[in-house]
Amino acid sequence: MQKPRFKSILGGISLLAFSGFLVIHAQDDRLPVADPNCTYFGKLREKFQRLALNAPERVRAAHPLSTMTDQVSAMLSYVPGGSRTYSYGQSHAAGSVDSYIWDDFKKNNITPAPLTTDWEFIRRVTLDLSGRIPAPDRAISFVADTASDKRAKLVDELLAKPEWVDKWTMYYGDLYQNTVTRPSTSLQRFPQGRNTFYQWIHDSLANGKPYNQMATELLTATGPNSYEDGSINYLLNGYITGGPTQDTTDGMTAAVFDTFLGLAYENCLECHNGRGHLDQLSLWGSTTTRYQAWQLASYLSHTQMARTPVDPSNNNIYYWSLLDNTRNFTADYTLNTTTGNRPARVAPAGCKSGQPCFTVPPQYIFTGESPKPGENYRVALARHITTDPQFARATVNYMWAQFFGRGIVDPPDTFDPARLDPDNPPPAPWTLQPSNAKLLNALAQHFVQSGYNLKALMREIATSQTYQLSSRYDGTWNVAWEPYFARKFVRRLWAEEIHDAVAQSSGTLPSYTMTGFTDQGFAKPSFAMQFPDIAGTPVGDFLDPFVRGNRDDQPRKTDGSILQALTLMNNSFVEARLQFSGATPSQLIFQNLTRNNTDLIDTLYLNILSRLPSTTELAKAQAALPTATGTPRNQAVQDLVWSLYNKVDFTFNY
Amino acid sequence: MSSNQEKINRVFAERPWDNKTFFNRPHWTRRRFFELMGSGVTGAFLAERYAKAAEVTAAGGQPKNTAKNVIFILLAGAPSHTDLFDLKDTSIAVAPQGLHKAATINGVYFPTGLMPKLAQAISDFALVRAVRSHALVHSLAQTWTQIGRNPAAALGSIAPNIGSIVAIEKDSERRPGQVFPTFLALNSNGAVGSGYLAAKYGPFKVTPNTGGIANTTNPDGAVRFKTRNDLMHSLDDVLRVNSPNSDDMQDYNDFYREAEGLMYNPAVNQAFGFSTDEAKRYGDGTLTTGLGNACLVAGKVLKADQGTRFIQITSNDGWDMHQSIYTGNNALPAKAKILDNAVSALLSDLKANALLDQTLVVMAGEFGRTVGPLSGAAGRDHWPQQFAFFAGGGVSGGRTIGKTNATGSDVAEFGWSQDRYVYPEDIEATVYSALGIDWTKTRSDDPLGRGFEYVPKTGPFQFYPVHELWES
Repeated sequence: MQKPRFKSILGGISLLAFSGFLVIHAQDDRLPVADPNCTYFGKLREKFQRLALNAPERVRAAHPLSTMTDQVSAMLSYVPGGSRTYSYGQSHAAGSVDSYIWDDFKKNNITPAPLTTDWEFIRRVTLDLSGRIPAPDRAISFVADTASDKRAKLVDELLAKPEWVDKWTMYYGDLYQNTVTRPSTSLQRFPQGRNTFYQWIHDSLANGKPYNQMATELLTATGPNSYEDGSINYLLNGYITGGPTQDTTDGMTAAVFDTFLGLAYENCLECHNGRGHLDQLSLWGSTTTRYQAWQLASYLSHTQMARTPVDPSNNNIYYWSLLDNTRNFTADYTLNTTTGNRPARVAPAGCKSGQPCFTVPPQYIFTGESPKPGENYRVALARHITTDPQFARATVNYMWAQFFGRGIVDPPDTFDPARLDPDNPPPAPWTLQPSNAKLLNALAQHFVQSGYNLKALMREIATSQTYQLSSRYDGTWNVAWEPYFARKFVRRLWAEEIHDAVAQSSGTLPSYTMTGFTDQGFAKPSFAMQFPDIAGTPVGDFLDPFVRGNRDDQPRKTDGSILQALTLMNNSFVEARLQFSGATPSQLIFQNLTRNNTDLIDTLYLNILSRLPSTTELAKAQAALPTATGTPRNQAVQDLVWSLYNKVDFTFNY
Repeated sequence: MSSNQEKINRVFAERPWDNKTFFNRPHWTRRRFFELMGSGVTGAFLAERYAKAAEVTAAGGQPKNTAKNVIFILLAGAPSHTDLFDLKDTSIAVAPQGLHKAATINGVYFPTGLMPKLAQAISDFALVRAVRSHALVHSLAQTWTQIGRNPAAALGSIAPNIGSIVAIEKDSERRPGQVFPTFLALNSNGAVGSGYLAAKYGPFKVTPNTGGIANTTNPDGAVRFKTRNDLMHSLDDVLRVNSPNSDDMQDYNDFYREAEGLMYNPAVNQAFGFSTDEAKRYGDGTLTTGLGNACLVAGKVLKADQGTRFIQITSNDGWDMHQSIYTGNNALPAKAKILDNAVSALLSDLKANALLDQTLVVMAGEFGRTVGPLSGAAGRDHWPQQFAFFAGGGVSGGRTIGKTNATGSDVAEFGWSQDRYVYPEDIEATVYSALGIDWTKTRSDDPLGRGFEYVPKTGPFQFYPVHELWES
């Protein structure tokens, strides 16, 4: 019974949704990186990079790399309006996301969920890409549109919106742990440092900066003042109080390998060999030594973070500098510690200070490369990392997890580099780590070919049929199918998304004052997604129950809780948006109260849930609304609006 | 022994002075030490902490299992141990005349002047004086205390609060009809959350208020709430009950059901709400205090027996006394009074309600403070030596475990089976043991797949519960 059904779904999918798309755009699959006019990717790249990154801060802005960067940005950044710089045919064409996923379905005899409806799709993709619910008129026009490539067009439209920048600034703020203070390590960025880093992330995304360039800038940034140079704030994450400088060097290294290569285990190796610790977890980790981790840390051993008080009479408020090869930071990673946060670093017996054995020189263990003679260590590290296929793999896998609720390698920061190659599977009993290794490699390759273009990556994901499968599964679902992405996994909205959906649908936008932000020249945000941080934001009493994390030791989560239910049911932020009179009436209710009940119910559904009510829902809602105007009807409308805000299809992206 | 360890031992043997804890080395002065280390330190004992996992035995622990509940009071800011629960004559000598009164009760030297009420209750609690902090930075050490492990270690960044471990362990013991969260956090907005565990095991954070828990009533009233909630369920149950989309939506409905259980529930207001008169009894008789309110609510919540098993309370009374520790309106006597009133009332109410025997009360700061003469600012700075207070839950009161030296700067006699300092990890193990939780357990559900040890097992020695607390 399963087989014919499978075939009909497959056929239906390819015929209905994307056949036009393929025909029209198949010839549009050109790769911008292959463009001969783009010298940035040519032989001169490394030279420019080296020159630029070694140059002093003020010279850097006028350097050829800046011109190159603009050139690259102009070429690669997403140009809205249907101009596709990069597109892989979806619809199961060889090499597409779907081709790999459907291969797995066939191999494992899995019947995938059906495709989403248009209503489901526009809400899902608008939330995933821009963090907002769709505007009601856009939802209607989208559903009414008969063009066969309307879903791809919608994706383009969303990628070009400023809300896209807001959402992914929040995401990368989480990933880069940009917060005012990290209690677990006692790092203080202060609002000014946090704000410049926020601005840097925001601008990088708004300008379509290639991701390898973002990574390179964060890895190589130097500067005298963390309040002025946003990019130096990233490596500050390595800071840990109460130990020798090697502890901070280790911390920076662990952060870098987690953020850019998805290798959280590197942190373990800074303390001890993998053997005896990671044997069950990571084939790579189990054979990697602490010495090799030190070789990685050595790339950051010449980097000093130092504080300068803003006011010389007050040591408690300071900014940071991040500089290389300063006094006391000219030696490689030194084996001379007995105290601190990590086990002693001890040179071999008989080795004395000053001898080569007393320090560890840098070496990138995945390729055996080392810095070139005279090359700045961090420039070398940025080069090794951004040209490592693992960099692309980790980046696309982090992103995949955002769209699908789980990574192809999951959790996304637990990569095992020795178990990734489908052509060289690991020795038994190990198995390949990714649930679909070929897909992961293909996505990574496409990402590299797109010029590390995040929007191109998201476009490839969002236009795939895999992404467009329904979360509804009518047959018997088998949990063993989860790693194959045979249905959409629902996601409870982020705290910010729920706030913004309530604000947007009610038509009553707040205007927030935030100490350390709006008093520093930033505009007053109306949407929580525009907050620069998790700590110290307005409406914390509404947002916090939705587990935003803290960009330090508490991760953002999508779990539910009793507090969330209490908050949605009774918190004043929602309650205020049920009012049709007073200082801040709900424009949604206020302006539509005169409609007849059916129209009113349709309007409320469309604005809040981005869909029209089903016949049953309409009947139930109508039964709840008196026809005569007056207080009982007004209250019934409020009750209905309250009900919609508390529905699971409001709280979840499904 | 690993060859690595041998190497280190050799190095130490060649340079014997390196074997002493760094702050006891002859060429180190405290000033020099802080100059070099900034504000924080950790000890040399940490040096091989993570290197010896393979050598730790895997035999399970045998928990005492004498307590049903735990109240954990964190004295944030770190009180001066030598002025309070480990009073020293060297402190009395530098305090203004008459500030300290001291007496030996049941063999316990106690500040009867600063904490007269607790002095009366001395047979109810035990003091562990061999406690050492790993780190001298408030936030780091407070996190350490709450998760019972190094926040900078591999799983530190995703480690759950001790209360979350208790919540997941005791989840199956919840009875139908019990509506309170298993893990409650009072005055603890900064409490560490559930780490990698599900949010339902996280702290349910409440700032005690005469009105009870926020958002448990609807601004439009109970009748309207029922109308709209019924309407919502009639529209939404098709999605949230046996959800066609996901179990997550069904779970969300469960949270709603539990939240509905807390709303308009007289048990909630009875336990979480209170009258000012009630609260004054936990204050100084005329005024109420934040710590007093929290202790009051904690006692009432446990009395309600609605499923709460672990309560974290934070004393935000400003124990970080670098300046003027003895003088001014907000000095040590005022703070000690807040603590004395609140905790003595808690113990006495727990006792009156026959709850003390089944409730372990633990109280500690994140570290101690410098001893002997005051600093230039007439205060006391950060110091690793500290104390921990244990009462109820089967623990024998009226005694001390471990002794410090004359000034209180270091331990003179460890006084327990492990013959070493008691660390936050040992206190964590003690809490688990009291609650009947095997402290040697390793969960296999952590996202790194590394195995999450309830009490970290890797280290130069095994952490262990202070089971001497149960001996009389």
